[in-house]
Amino acid sequence: MKKYKRTKFPDAHNSECEIASRDELSAYIDKELPAWKRHLIRRHLKRCNVCANDIQRLQHTDNFLRHAGDVDASDGFLGSVMTRVSEVAQHQRQQESLWTRIRRVIEVSLGWMPPLSKLSGKLRYNIRTRSPVYISILTFAVFTMVGVTLYQPSDDKFGEELRELDSEKLISFEVIQQEPPKRLLTTYLQRK
Amino acid sequence: MFVSDEDLMMKCRKGDIGAFELLVRRYQNPLINYIHRFIDDYHRAEDLSQETFLRVFKSASRYKPTASFKSWLYTIATNLCRNEIRNRSRRNTCFLEELVEEGEDVYYTEIMRDTRYLPDVLLEKKEQRQIIRKALAQLPDNQRVALVLVTYQDLRYEEVAEILGCSVGAVKALIHRARQKMKKLLIKAGIGE
Repeated sequence: MKKYKRTKFPDAHNSECEIASRDELSAYIDKELPAWKRHLIRRHLKRCNVCANDIQRLQHTDNFLRHAGDVDASDGFLGSVMTRVSEVAQHQRQQESLWTRIRRVIEVSLGWMPPLSKLSGKLRYNIRTRSPVYISILTFAVFTMVGVTLYQPSDDKFGEELRELDSEKLISFEVIQQEPPKRLLTTYLQRK
Repeated sequence: MFVSDEDLMMKCRKGDIGAFELLVRRYQNPLINYIHRFIDDYHRAEDLSQETFLRVFKSASRYKPTASFKSWLYTIATNLCRNEIRNRSRRNTCFLEELVEEGEDVYYTEIMRDTRYLPDVLLEKKEQRQIIRKALAQLPDNQRVALVLVTYQDLRYEEVAEILGCSVGAVKALIHRARQKMKKLLIKAGIGE
């Protein structure tokens, strides 16, 4: 088994003490040391009376402090805290913008706002990092698409022509319908 | 069903005031005790506890569940206590409890009314409290905070390090020095050897 060399520590009470720092004693009382260190200290305390006494005194002080007793909150404490909290909540609700309110409603009701915000964040990042040429082409494309979708021609000449053509056809058809079939009539008269 | 502090805080973030009330119920007594031991003034401790809870509520939207709620709460309270002590030294105020100690003992009348103990036991308890209070007041700020958080609030060294913004090793040293000093002060006051 490997043997560790004993070292002298400046704050140790004598040269034989294995405890590196006296702070470890308090940490030992509070159970804040790893198991292997606790084991070492426990073994050391069996041999070293000075450290054992120190630990005992510290433990005594700690126990005494723990018995100091507690104070309780007054009866109206919770009520007054909650009154002030609801005032603050109301004030916050009045202060927040329309967008924040809509966002909160969507967040609470649907729960899909985080991915959407991530998407918008990605878009913003792309715009910030890409070159100006890319941005201008993208903007042009978007505007063109929007323009094409929303465009409505104001003077509808082609439509008017079509309408005129249709009415002419209708008149000619009516004329044809109104004229008696001459050839048939003559043949009928001839037979009679 | 037990709901963790962090879950309650997340609910509070979504506007659930009931969740926040549960947090206040859970921490009102530990927080008042902590502040009381720090600044040694019960009435002011209640005010500062109220202020701590309000600050927690106001900054709920910024809370991230990665940090422990307890550490966050005590960090806010510690900062408020430090400000209070700084302001006190500027104003050079005389405190109610100091006056009470000299004259009528209003603060301890409730303890004295407790029928579970004999009057001499109660008197002894009262004296012990006073001695501890005075001894704690003599410790430097950081040592007092570390000792109170570990001894009375049962916080781990890591959590105390987070609150004080130092390393765990530094907390070890602070606690040990505080205990050594308390030991000396208690011996001086006639308790122990």
